[in-house]
Amino acid sequence: MTRKITLAAVATAALLVLTGCVAGEGSNVAPKPEPEATLPGSWSSDVLNIDFATYNPLSLIIKDQGWLEDTFGDKVTVNWIQSAGSSAANDALRAGSIDVGSTAGSAALLARSNGSPIQAIDIYSQPNWSAIVVGANSTIKSAKDLKGKNIAANAGTDPYFFLLQTLDEAGIGLDEVTITQLAHADGKTALEAGTVDAWAGLDPLMSASVVNAGSKIIYDNPDFNSYGFLNATEAFLTKSPDIAQVVVSAYEKARAWAAENPDEAAQILADVAGIDIAIAKSVLLDRTALDIDPKPGAKQEAVLTIIGPIFVESGAVASQDQIDDALESLFNTDYIDDANPDLIG
Amino acid sequence: MRSSVPTRPPRWKQLPLAARIAIGAIIPLAILGLWQFIIVLDVIPSYRLPSPTAVVLAGVDLYQRGLLGIHIAISTQRVLIGFAIGSLVGLVVASFVGLSRIGTLLLAPTLSGIRSIPSLAWVPLLGLYMGINEDSKVTLIAIGAFFPVYTVVSHALRNVDPQLLEAGRAYGYTGPRLLSLVQLPAAVPSVISGLRLALAQSWLFLVAGELLGASMGLGFLLTDSNNNGRIDRLFLTILLLGILGIITDALVGVLERWLLKRWG
Repeated sequence: MTRKITLAAVATAALLVLTGCVAGEGSNVAPKPEPEATLPGSWSSDVLNIDFATYNPLSLIIKDQGWLEDTFGDKVTVNWIQSAGSSAANDALRAGSIDVGSTAGSAALLARSNGSPIQAIDIYSQPNWSAIVVGANSTIKSAKDLKGKNIAANAGTDPYFFLLQTLDEAGIGLDEVTITQLAHADGKTALEAGTVDAWAGLDPLMSASVVNAGSKIIYDNPDFNSYGFLNATEAFLTKSPDIAQVVVSAYEKARAWAAENPDEAAQILADVAGIDIAIAKSVLLDRTALDIDPKPGAKQEAVLTIIGPIFVESGAVASQDQIDDALESLFNTDYIDDANPDLIG
Repeated sequence: MRSSVPTRPPRWKQLPLAARIAIGAIIPLAILGLWQFIIVLDVIPSYRLPSPTAVVLAGVDLYQRGLLGIHIAISTQRVLIGFAIGSLVGLVVASFVGLSRIGTLLLAPTLSGIRSIPSLAWVPLLGLYMGINEDSKVTLIAIGAFFPVYTVVSHALRNVDPQLLEAGRAYGYTGPRLLSLVQLPAAVPSVISGLRLALAQSWLFLVAGELLGASMGLGFLLTDSNNNGRIDRLFLTILLLGILGIITDALVGVLERWLLKRWG
């Protein structure tokens, strides 16, 4: 009996060894699989690590249509990595594991203020993506009722700064509420389970919660949102301006494509986010403006100038000087000026 | 087994305390020196490696904001309560399983099944049923503290020298008296090492519990700093966790000396 079990265990172990290691998500230590084209050809690098996110519809379109892959052919390997939120994207940019990442404008400013060398090369959307949401049976009716409540939010993202601005406007101090640190998706779960009183939500999760769980939006303010920033690391821009140019051109092609094919764009969002097509349409068509000036400039600066001091007050950034310096160097308009969507694909 | 013949303490224990501390400090100081050296060389940008000074200043800033004390206090409190509950329940269950045949038959299979589930997998359930609050965090830590104590102590009790038990029974000890006068004392070294493991596990589970939904505590500070890109605070938190771990471990060391003096 015992011998049989031992044999079975050894056989299973042997099977696991024979099937070999799976590649996983890449490693700096383990040897990399040889790319099919080892010669960079006419490109400055043979790999592009770029993120996609449900809060960045243009990234989903580019990924879905395969424009980057078509443009680079087999000369440049395109690695798509999903970002769960701005803070996750910033984390990956800081670590150098992605070259290009999507964050809220507020999060980009925060990262740059704290020393992360990133620059905004394109504005992908003007979203109304954040709001304060409460459960279906909540007695909370307005922002003023948040006093003394437990609110879920993900620090370092737009909904978090939306919450700070909301509390500020309602005259509620940070010591008068409990802000529970949860990733966006976990915050939604916690709200629906009733373990927190309110949630600083992010679309499309938020719209899904409103439709599916009957959650209620109690405070909404488009001016508190800080645009969607496409950021690249300075190291990447220095080494591969040609590839960065292709990325920005692809974004502009996606912007035009989304305007012409709103239903297909909504379908792509619905598929990736795992949400109903009706919710995807309401997020994309009612709550997100893609048809905006993609060049980072005065409008974004105006919003960020308001948000900046909140960073200092909440302790996320040590001094206002760091914010001023970051704001001065955050925008890079070289690529959007030269964008040519016709060269893509 | 512990003998009553006095043995000479190992030679290193004869060194004066100051010398022992000095030797123990060599490696931490070397690491600090290397860290500062890397900063001076300026080979790693400051957004990836903060300077030692920046880390200290981050601590001073948090202290001035009145936050540092709260983060440390709440985390220590969670660990101590969770550890106390988990290790006490662990001792009781281990005694039952280690000493009675029916206990072993009844509980051991279930417990070894539960033990093989990575305890962090409970986190979503705890959040769902207990809420995101002190209860769920302390419970998670208690689960973390329970298993090392249970495993080590039940094993030790099951393997107490049969001759000792014979001798105990010859003196007319049975049941609880046999347990408290013979079996537990014989298992004291195992109890201590179980507690040590449980304590380390408690800090681990604290961070896990606080990473997944918290508004204060060192695990929260870790996530918050990471989300905001404040790596000076990140380093500070990691250092604090290390220091607190050493301090609480030293407390178990005090308990160890007391127990050994009483029963050893």
